[in-house]
Amino acid sequence: MAEKIKAPRMKIKRSVKQDEIFKVKVRFDHPSFTGLGMVDENEELFNRAVPSTFIRNMLVYYDDELVSRFRTSSAIADNPLFTFKLRAIKEAPVKVVFVDDQGERWEASKDVKFKS
Amino acid sequence: MKKTIAIAAVLVAALAATTSAYAAKVVEEIQIEGMVSPASPKALSAALEGQLAVKVLGYDFYGTANGWPIIKVEHDSGAVSRDQIEKVIDATKDPTGTPYRVHRGETKIHLALLEEETKADGVFAADAPDIPKITNPIAADAASHGRGEKLYVQYCSKCHGMTGNGAGPSAHGFSTNPRQLWTWHNADASADPYLYWFITNGRTDMPPWGVILSDNERWDLVNYVKTLEPPKN
Repeated sequence: MAEKIKAPRMKIKRSVKQDEIFKVKVRFDHPSFTGLGMVDENEELFNRAVPSTFIRNMLVYYDDELVSRFRTSSAIADNPLFTFKLRAIKEAPVKVVFVDDQGERWEASKDVKFKS
Repeated sequence: MKKTIAIAAVLVAALAATTSAYAAKVVEEIQIEGMVSPASPKALSAALEGQLAVKVLGYDFYGTANGWPIIKVEHDSGAVSRDQIEKVIDATKDPTGTPYRVHRGETKIHLALLEEETKADGVFAADAPDIPKITNPIAADAASHGRGEKLYVQYCSKCHGMTGNGAGPSAHGFSTNPRQLWTWHNADASADPYLYWFITNGRTDMPPWGVILSDNERWDLVNYVKTLEPPKN
C-alpha cells in the first residue's frame, strides 16, 4: 500500500452522567477492495486482479475488557463510520481496535469522564 | 591503431559467438498483479515486444494456483534476461493508468488471525450450544427437494457454491471459508436438527436465516442440502 493509513478517529461526549447511554463514533480512513476485476470483457472473465484490502475486524474494549466485536467482510465501504452505544458504568478508557485483512492493526482510545 | 581496432573487433565477434553458443530459446512464466481492464493484456504485450526482443506466447487466466494471471514469454536467454523482462513489466502501466507488478511473494489472502482476534472469537463465538433434538416434520420427497433447490440457489449458492463445494462467487472475502456441504450427502435423520440449527442461527460469517426464511422453508433446505454431492466426472 502506497499511502500510510492513519489511526482511526473517535468521538465521544466530553463528560457523561453515570449509567448514561452514550454514543461512540469511530471514523476510519481505510480503503476497501475485493481484489477482483474484469480481465476480458468478451469472455466475461473475472480474476483476482490486485491484492484485496478491507477491514476484517473491529474490537471494542471498555476498561480493557472486550465488550463488542464487529466482523466485516469485503462488502464494507471505503472510510467507514461506525456508531454504537455504550452504557457509562465507570470512568475508564474506551478503546477501538481495527484489523484489516492483511493483518495490520490500528487503534484509538478516549477516556470516559463523569460529570462533576 | 588500426591493429587495435581489428583486435577489438575480433574479440567482440568471439564474445558474440560464445554468448550465442550458450544462448537458447527459453519460455518464462511470470505471474503478474494487476490486469484490471480488458485492454490491458494487449498493452502489456505491446510494451514487452516493443522494448525487448521477446515474444509473448499468451496468458493463462484460469489454471493458476494462487489466482494471479501468468504471462508466457519466449526469449533468447543470451539476449534478454528475466530481470529485464520483469523491469519492463514493472515499468508498464495499463490504459487505465494502473501499474503492473510482477508477483514475487505470497498472495496475501485469508491471513492468520491476530492473537487478539482469536481471543475475541473465544469470547463471542462460544462453542456449538445445545442443539434441541427435533424431528424433521417435512418428508424428504421430490417436492421438498424442488422447493429446497430454489431456496438454495437464491440464498445459499452465492457462498456455498451451486454444487455445494463451498466456493461460491462471494466466498472469497470472509475470515472463515464457507463450509463444503457434501459432508451431509445422504446423512441420516440425526443430522437434521444440527443442519436446521445452523441454518436458523448462522455462525461466524453466515447470517441467521431464521429471520428471513420460514420454518418449513428451512426444513426444505435441510432436505435439499442432504442431496448435494460432489460432481461426477
